[in-house]
Amino acid sequence: MIVDGFFIAGAVVALVSALVCVAAAVIRQPPNDITILSVAAVELFLLVYGTAAIVRQAGGEAVAGEAWEFWGYWVTALLVPVAAFWWAILERSRWSNLVLGAAGLTIIVMLVRMEQIWDAVPAA
Amino acid sequence: MKASRPRTARGVPAATGGPAPYRSKASGPGRLLVAVYGVFALSASARAGYQIATKFSEAPLAYLLSALAAAVYVVATIALARSGPRAYWLSVAAVGVELAGVLAVGLFSLLDAAALPHDTVWSGFGKGYGYVPLVLPVVGLWWLYRHRPGTAAGRRG
Repeated sequence: MIVDGFFIAGAVVALVSALVCVAAAVIRQPPNDITILSVAAVELFLLVYGTAAIVRQAGGEAVAGEAWEFWGYWVTALLVPVAAFWWAILERSRWSNLVLGAAGLTIIVMLVRMEQIWDAVPAA
Repeated sequence: MKASRPRTARGVPAATGGPAPYRSKASGPGRLLVAVYGVFALSASARAGYQIATKFSEAPLAYLLSALAAAVYVVATIALARSGPRAYWLSVAAVGVELAGVLAVGLFSLLDAAALPHDTVWSGFGKGYGYVPLVLPVVGLWWLYRHRPGTAAGRRG
């Protein structure tokens, strides 16, 4: 797997979001603007990542692995922050911030896998 | 169980008239439990679907086990999120099957690695997933025990 700018940017955004959410849970805060916006930033990154992937593929930079698998991961990843937000906002307790933080960590794992598919690295 | 420690307010909130911060087994820490189960339901389903769609004939047993694991995670997620005695016992069954499955498949893959050449989510006690599949059902059963019907927490679903 080639660690490119897209992966670094996504991993940083998702990791910062996860840390912010976990920190908010530690200081017993319910989900607030900061934690929710950090998850929104992860979703925004995924949209940019997908758009960039379309541009890269249109420009002749093909996915080395299975393209449908890459896009399957991408569509699923898009749902994760939305589902986490919905589940967290139904009950605004400190624990809901950990739900939001789990979304960021899940996205990091999915980004690793998407980059592996992009570079056709077999799954470990 | 930390039985020796005094119970905090969240253990017996209704009986003492104290605050009841955690309404049901899907409340408070239970929300995170449901979320983690949801992530596993999603990833196990996707993995099983991918394995069965693309290379089922290579190792039918391993991939059927993947599908079983995925189904168990989906049932556990929904049952943990819902309230009521039926959902409670369904979640106990699903989490129990999960624990039995991860122990059986983990032991089997240890004793006879050749019989299960293709990884499932439960192979090697879930080491491909950071052993979370092994820890999760233990935490889940403990949480369900804390919220069993008949206790203050359990009566609220």
